[in-house]
Amino acid sequence: MKRGRCPDSGDADPPQNGTSDDGMRVRDPEAGASNIDSQPDTNDEVDSAHRRDIRSRYRVLISSIQKNREDIKITEVLDEANVLFKEVHQAREAALDSQLLVVASDLGKEKASQLFSEGLSFDPSTFVQHTLSFMGLNWLEEEGESSDEGAATSHGSLPRNAWRRLARRAEACFRSTPAFHFMYGSFQAEPPPPKPRVERQRKAPTKEAKRIMPTQLKKMEESLQEATEKEVERILGYLQQYHAQDPTSPISYYEFVINPHSFSRTVENIFHTSFLVRDGLARMYMDEDKMPCIGPVEDGMAGDGRAPVRKQCVIAISLQGWRELRRDLDIQESMIQPPKSQTK
Amino acid sequence: MCQIKTGGSCSLILQLIKRFIASYTINKSSSAGEMTQRKSSGKRSSTAVEEEEDDSRFTQPTTSQVQKGMEKLTKAQIDEKTTELVQYILMKDQKKIPIKRADIVKNVLKEYKNVFPEIMNRVQQRFEQVFGFKVVEIDTKNHVYILINKLEPAEGSEMTSGNPKTGLLFVILSLVYMKGGVVPEGLVWNTLKKMRVDPGERHPEFGDVKKLVTDEFVRQRYLEYTKVPHTEPVKYDFTWGQRAEVEVSKHKILEFLGELHSQDPQRWSQQYKDASSQRSSRAPQPSTSSQR
Repeated sequence: MKRGRCPDSGDADPPQNGTSDDGMRVRDPEAGASNIDSQPDTNDEVDSAHRRDIRSRYRVLISSIQKNREDIKITEVLDEANVLFKEVHQAREAALDSQLLVVASDLGKEKASQLFSEGLSFDPSTFVQHTLSFMGLNWLEEEGESSDEGAATSHGSLPRNAWRRLARRAEACFRSTPAFHFMYGSFQAEPPPPKPRVERQRKAPTKEAKRIMPTQLKKMEESLQEATEKEVERILGYLQQYHAQDPTSPISYYEFVINPHSFSRTVENIFHTSFLVRDGLARMYMDEDKMPCIGPVEDGMAGDGRAPVRKQCVIAISLQGWRELRRDLDIQESMIQPPKSQTK
Repeated sequence: MCQIKTGGSCSLILQLIKRFIASYTINKSSSAGEMTQRKSSGKRSSTAVEEEEDDSRFTQPTTSQVQKGMEKLTKAQIDEKTTELVQYILMKDQKKIPIKRADIVKNVLKEYKNVFPEIMNRVQQRFEQVFGFKVVEIDTKNHVYILINKLEPAEGSEMTSGNPKTGLLFVILSLVYMKGGVVPEGLVWNTLKKMRVDPGERHPEFGDVKKLVTDEFVRQRYLEYTKVPHTEPVKYDFTWGQRAEVEVSKHKILEFLGELHSQDPQRWSQQYKDASSQRSSRAPQPSTSSQR
């Protein structure tokens, strides 16, 4: 890359020489100025504005090279720079000029190394096409389907094992070693001896702990189950008792279960009563006022149908509801007495 | 780099200077950068993590030193060390990251480091005779080794399920090779995009493509990713890495490319000449392997 220099432009130090490695090095400004500065101090302001203009034009040229590395015509840039250089009188602009040269020559070197004139040329796009075909690309697929695959060239889609297929064939070009893995995983020969010791120590305490556990558990389980069953039986007793007192008049369900002194007892009563209904020992029905009533099931009544008709309902009661019912039904005493012993 | 001659206290000063310079030089494979990071993190006492040691502490022993060292050792000791080093290299080879001599000395040889050359010879023999592998020093300056297969891959070895990364690597290596050995990264990214591999997006098979190409492949020395000077914003070039130069057969690449393009590979005369010279410079290979 030759660059023609007009000899009449600048006298001293053409900045080409020392800047091939580092374009930013600036020569001694004092020496430069004294040699080059041919114009004395007339029109200083105009002069500095002019120089600023030159510097900015240099910078434009430099950035244009850096931005358009592919498309730029270096010769045009150099021609422009030549014209600019005629106006350069001071070191500051000269430094920019040298920077421009460095950038331009780097680009030139890059382009030269990319030149490959001998033999058949190699086109990446063609290469891509052939490789994609080898990988099993289905070219004929419609554009609509592949539009969701993203930006780059649509048309067709790659099968799942496309890259594997390519790799299998490409591996033949490599002399690589298969990776080495232990079959059962790596291990060291040392650890086994300490292990039995640790295990034995641990076994002793656990045995003792286990022995204590069963006795405690048995107690608890008994109490829970028995309590519920006892309660249910007790309530059945109440129900039968009240029914026996007056077989004809129905027992209001709410009157039966509500304990006016305790909401939690009420809930318990409802809970236990539900067992009676479930087991077919009590039945619930609606009276003329559409109020729920409860009564014991007598043996004779089962003769109605062998398979009892099962109906389910869910009864919910809140604190508010309990208060309202208690007030509206004017319940003063509970029909179900709370159990005497409580193990809670 | 200047030669470090042993002897005298000035050698210590020289070694210190060399290490100081090395830790501040921007190295292509960024191993120096790694070294400064590790040094600043302080000592770690766990044996699971291997610390990388600066190789400049290890000076190649002379042949007489090696001989003397060998005389002091029993055959059993030598065999044990040889076996250990063989296993060490096999384990390190799993990730295909090259093995540093400094690591070998520190982690395997330890007090046997004065007989390093002799052990290495035996290790070479073991690999060649037992496994059909070859330990190659791909970087004689930094003393870095890789393991390659001595035998050519067998015909009909397409039965193996290929590692998709190999396919991707093949595309990049071919591109670089056919375009004269150096390629600006832009060309690589554009070509990959045409193959539905976008470095800006996460690929279902390759994940972070940019990282795979510029980091993993570079660390494995399949590729080199070098900065182009004076570019703003910074641009990089791709070239073949030291492992690729040794492990990949240019002739076979051309052959495959010829198949793909339905072309006689000799028509790419420049590359064909280059591939033939690579072939003749490598030692003639024995018959095919049954490694698969």
